[in-house]
Amino acid sequence: MTAVAVEGLLKKYGDHEAVRGVDFAVEEGEIFALLGPNGAGKTTTMEILEGFRHRDGGDVRVLGRDPGDKTDGRRLRGQIGLVLQDIAVEPYLSVRETIARNAGYYPAPRDVDEVIGLVGLEEKRDAKVKDLSGGQKRRLDLALGVIGDPKLLFLDEPTTGFDPGARRGAWEVVRSLRDAGTTILLTTHYMDEAQALADSVAVIAAGRIVAAGTPDTIGGRDSALARIRFALPAGAAIDDVPVQVSDAEDGLVTAEAEEPTAALHRLTSWALDRGTPLERLTVEQPTLEDVYLGLTSSYAQQEASSPSTERGSTPSSAARARRGRRPGRSRR
Amino acid sequence: MTSTLPPTTTETTRRVDRAGRERPDERGSLALLAHQIRYEQLSFWRNPQSMVFTFVLPIVIISVFGAVFAGSEGEDFFFGLSGLQYYTPTIAAVSVLGACYGQLAIVLAMRRQTGVLKRLHATPLPAWVYFAGLLVHCVVVSVVDVALVIGIGRLYGVPWPADWLALALTLVLGAASFCALGVGVASLIRNSEAAPAVVQFIQFPLVFISGSYFPIHSDVMNNIAGLLPVKPFNDAMLAPFAHQGGFQWKELAVLAAWGVVGALIAVRSFRWDPRPE
Repeated sequence: MTAVAVEGLLKKYGDHEAVRGVDFAVEEGEIFALLGPNGAGKTTTMEILEGFRHRDGGDVRVLGRDPGDKTDGRRLRGQIGLVLQDIAVEPYLSVRETIARNAGYYPAPRDVDEVIGLVGLEEKRDAKVKDLSGGQKRRLDLALGVIGDPKLLFLDEPTTGFDPGARRGAWEVVRSLRDAGTTILLTTHYMDEAQALADSVAVIAAGRIVAAGTPDTIGGRDSALARIRFALPAGAAIDDVPVQVSDAEDGLVTAEAEEPTAALHRLTSWALDRGTPLERLTVEQPTLEDVYLGLTSSYAQQEASSPSTERGSTPSSAARARRGRRPGRSRR
Repeated sequence: MTSTLPPTTTETTRRVDRAGRERPDERGSLALLAHQIRYEQLSFWRNPQSMVFTFVLPIVIISVFGAVFAGSEGEDFFFGLSGLQYYTPTIAAVSVLGACYGQLAIVLAMRRQTGVLKRLHATPLPAWVYFAGLLVHCVVVSVVDVALVIGIGRLYGVPWPADWLALALTLVLGAASFCALGVGVASLIRNSEAAPAVVQFIQFPLVFISGSYFPIHSDVMNNIAGLLPVKPFNDAMLAPFAHQGGFQWKELAVLAAWGVVGALIAVRSFRWDPRPE
């Protein structure tokens, strides 16, 4: 079953085409990560799926319904949950009251105390929302996203501003939700997060999907060459090395190999014969981040030179980007 | 953050339960409304600042006016009433105006700006239940405000109103109309920083020309103000105190018409999202 189907999605802000023909599908029960730089059309796409914005073209199905159809909206809203980047909670209610209030809005909510446990706010159950830390407010936000027992959960940059421990905890919660049958569609700027969580990923740049697949195969990652890097031993020239290597960069040379075992064998034999170690030796496949940067860099330049970027029409995206660079800070 | 996975058994029953109860309306709209009213009240009474400003301001104003005009007998300036007989209902009316129109417009603009409305709109809570919850809240606050003002007026020797039923109807209709206007104005405000200024820009001249703080004896002025929402409300509040009979149907009709205008603006242009498309 397909939980979310997007075909040929179009959205314009004035003259600027923020989304120009986006296609992707999220299968039921998977974690799907939508990746892309700020202003690429990620948030616009999410907001159309969430029913906040109208589309200018294309077909969108969320749990089999059209999120743009307002007459059907209430039923759909009962089946989806969302966690947005901006924390929006009434300051004077307690954690439990806030969650219990939202629970009452849904036809078949989860148990309030169970959800408090799920996000790890047991000790703050009776604390006023205004007395919570930034991270605790984010957890409360997550609790509000799942209290309605959604079939589909939207997470917009769920761990931006979390410390590493809290991120791991949040990942565990997201995985446990998936394992319990919830479909999750998330956006993130952290490639390690997409790598750790996502079953499927799609990269959006300049309003189009430029690559889609699993985190391990996207952008030809599985067939890409492995990179062997090491410091050139003292007294050795590049031509002495038994495999072809690039010029030194930061004191390291790089060799590329489809299958690194043989190349490593030759390299290490050579080094042992010379009696000089290969210092700072690493072997790596391209990371998801390498692939992502390769896919988006050409578009980023194009966008930067274009006078009308999405940022111009959504003033808060700049603020959001600022916040993203200052981990641990929260607006309130 | 620790994760505690719910046991598989409850998981299964939960899913079945959800499939069996697809329609959100099954639980009944009234129960949902009661739920919303309860939490709207809880949010308000927990916030010390909003409470103080909502209730202390009318008390201070009526107390000051009481001190200034205490002991005055029936005067032509006050249309044959004592100063306090005039000011008790008009200050009560101002407090209703502030609690319904002013507070509501500002609160809604702020809730929109902070994303509270957007989040709320993503839940299955019907919009009418949300606004009905706010209306009930505003009526409750108005009743408390009016009771406080009348109570203090009584301490200064103002007789109880002659017609409680007319007072009650006027109060509820006035609260509803000013709530509708508050939501209407909130629909037109673009950002919450401007909200208090916009609210006052409309409220201050209206209160001034409607005789809330001093009686107006210009017929031209009274005719103009009589077509705007505040003076009809003042007059309808005054009547039960002035012993000239209870229900002021003409004034109540003007008031209701303004309520409809506010509601139409709200329905046409109310936004939940802080960023317009």
